[in-house]
Amino acid sequence: MITEGAIDLAEMLRGAISPESGAVVAFIGVVRADPGVTALEIEAYDDAALDELRRIKEEAISRFGVSYVNILHRKGRISLGEIIVVVACASPHRKDAFDACEYVIDELKRRVLIWKKELTGEGGRWVNTR
Amino acid sequence: MKINIRAFAGFREILGREISLEIEEGSNVSDLIERLCRIKPGFRDAVFSETGELRDYVIIMLNRRRLDMPEDLNSPLSDNDEVAIFPPVAGG
Repeated sequence: MITEGAIDLAEMLRGAISPESGAVVAFIGVVRADPGVTALEIEAYDDAALDELRRIKEEAISRFGVSYVNILHRKGRISLGEIIVVVACASPHRKDAFDACEYVIDELKRRVLIWKKELTGEGGRWVNTR
Repeated sequence: MKINIRAFAGFREILGREISLEIEEGSNVSDLIERLCRIKPGFRDAVFSETGELRDYVIIMLNRRRLDMPEDLNSPLSDNDEVAIFPPVAGG
């Protein structure tokens, strides 16, 4: 659920596709080239972050009845245009998969113990979400 | 007793990612913060305002349970407790 290596998008989507699910919805977060930003540095309180990701996954399954939820978040140094996070949800019908996917990424941003620093030519700044 | 401290984001840059401190039996979270202020330059300014109040972006977990601030500053510590210090999260 948290990886230092590049995310293999095709592999994640392949895992979501099965005959039980008529719909797969994925959210893909990408490092955006904001002014002055050259890369991101992401760190996580690993064990606690993994526990929270597992809770969010279980919540999505029970709330929306989706058949499959997979979440993978990068950590370490990530270049512009690289994938930071992928959430893939599958369900028999598309509405539940859309709702579950939105729920997971919103809750991830709000609750999971992960921080990011925007690296710039002058050093960097921790992203403050408040 | 030994307390394991884990710091993240800006606090990690001041304290280091993982440190252990020997502190007196009977110490609480506030005592630990004060000790860190004495030994780590920059930590006091990072956690306390000019008027000496804990800054509202300081989040502290004791053994993975988030403490309510400032009332839980007097939570007692035990040997081998894990105290984590970090700002609001910003993943995704």
